[in-house]
Amino acid sequence: MSVGSPTLVRASRAPVYEVDIYSDEVIRDPYPHYRRIRALGAAVWLPLNGLWAIGRHADVRAVLADHVNFRSGHGVSGNSAANKIAPGNLLASDPPLHDHLRRIVAAPLSPRSLAMVKERIEETADALVDRLVQRSSFDGMADLAQYLPVSIVSELVGMPEHGRENMLRWASAVFDMLGGDNERAAAAMPIIMEMRAYTANEATRDKVRPGGWVAMLYDAADQGVIRPEQVQVLMRDYLGPSLDTTIFATGHLMYLLGQNPDQWQMLRDDPTLIPNAINEAVRLESPIRGFTRYAAADRHVGDTLIPSGDRALILYASANRDERRWERPDTFDVKRILTDHVGFGHGIHSCAGMQLARLEIRSIVTAMTKQVKSIQVGEPTLAMNNVLRGYERLPMTFLAA
Amino acid sequence: MPQVLFTLHNGTVMSVAAATGHSVMEAARNNGVPGIVAECGGAAMCATCHVYVDPKWLGKIAAMSDFEDELLEGTGSPRMETSRLSCQIPIDDGLDGLEVTVPPSQY
Repeated sequence: MSVGSPTLVRASRAPVYEVDIYSDEVIRDPYPHYRRIRALGAAVWLPLNGLWAIGRHADVRAVLADHVNFRSGHGVSGNSAANKIAPGNLLASDPPLHDHLRRIVAAPLSPRSLAMVKERIEETADALVDRLVQRSSFDGMADLAQYLPVSIVSELVGMPEHGRENMLRWASAVFDMLGGDNERAAAAMPIIMEMRAYTANEATRDKVRPGGWVAMLYDAADQGVIRPEQVQVLMRDYLGPSLDTTIFATGHLMYLLGQNPDQWQMLRDDPTLIPNAINEAVRLESPIRGFTRYAAADRHVGDTLIPSGDRALILYASANRDERRWERPDTFDVKRILTDHVGFGHGIHSCAGMQLARLEIRSIVTAMTKQVKSIQVGEPTLAMNNVLRGYERLPMTFLAA
Repeated sequence: MPQVLFTLHNGTVMSVAAATGHSVMEAARNNGVPGIVAECGGAAMCATCHVYVDPKWLGKIAAMSDFEDELLEGTGSPRMETSRLSCQIPIDDGLDGLEVTVPPSQY
């Protein structure tokens, strides 16, 4: 963006935060930066990213609810190159297209559809925890958090084998492209192209698992509900978010339970707290830190004008720690009342797969309450990603009950 | 404020004061009514605030959108004639005494 552009002139009277929000430094420890952004104002200009940052809980909720003026159809990335190639899928769409696509993409993710896989997920989680309890130590990410997504969800999606193997790598690249225009995004681009070539050339009707989610997209095309070329695009709504986000949320919950043995004891004493504990982990360590919206009209956020055509970064991970909304925002409290956290987003683009994510995590933690007395965690290694927050590795030990 | 009566899965009836303009889901959430999960926060996206509305109230509440109709096809507990998503029922003074039943599970 050139100096003297309308945006910069208008932004000159707005609060400014001169830190690259997608830099390594911020990714490693984002929360102090979010606190400063919240303190500066409701909408804060990030000159190094050419984005407005929205970090307070009330404003994040309001902007996400206003999908007419803060649109997704021009893409939701912080990276303009990515926004040029993204539109057309569910994540990057506006009504009425969005509502149409959501019905199709979310069909296998409804509570009723998931009832069919519930028992299998629960049994697999029981067996997994049973094995992990017998090990002296394990990697909470590769051995625990990844297990259900990789073994069951990737099968539900129903890509051919080669695709299943690559889903984690592709998804990570997709999320790097949903953030800033930096080296991580540049490195992600060829991987995205590889994924797109795969969806076009290999995830063909005859190779996908019959009855799987991708096969259901082909069925929808057969029925004339979507156009044949949309199958490709919608496939990516499954490939991107179905694994990493759940994996990272699981890792966060494990680490937090390991760090807070009193909270773990509460879950053992009362497993009905488990769904709330999942929400609390997603609040405190939101796996998706933020997506952007395109301002379709001049809109005020707080007393700051966001000019039409500008782009706002909606910081879920900041809203979820906003001291204006949360008491002791940095504390993990499984009994906290938190139905309005935005860790799964808010409004029409709220996470379509949240039921499945919660089912997977609930199944693991429920199995743990039966078999695990205490959880020991070591120092986690952070995955460096432009949008996601999660661990690459997390040393863990379960002590048997 | 209008009162909404929630019959819980165990048969207990909880009566809560609901602010006009709030939804039945928000009234439940703000008053700690168990069994109304409302994972999407009221966007009609998740079908986890499912309730059964007492038949005598059905004609008095806001009509169902096509979108809600489709979401109700995906509820965790069986859909019945009286099924609604509580986030899609705005409270007004005419709904004082509204009776709804919370299903056994939202999953």
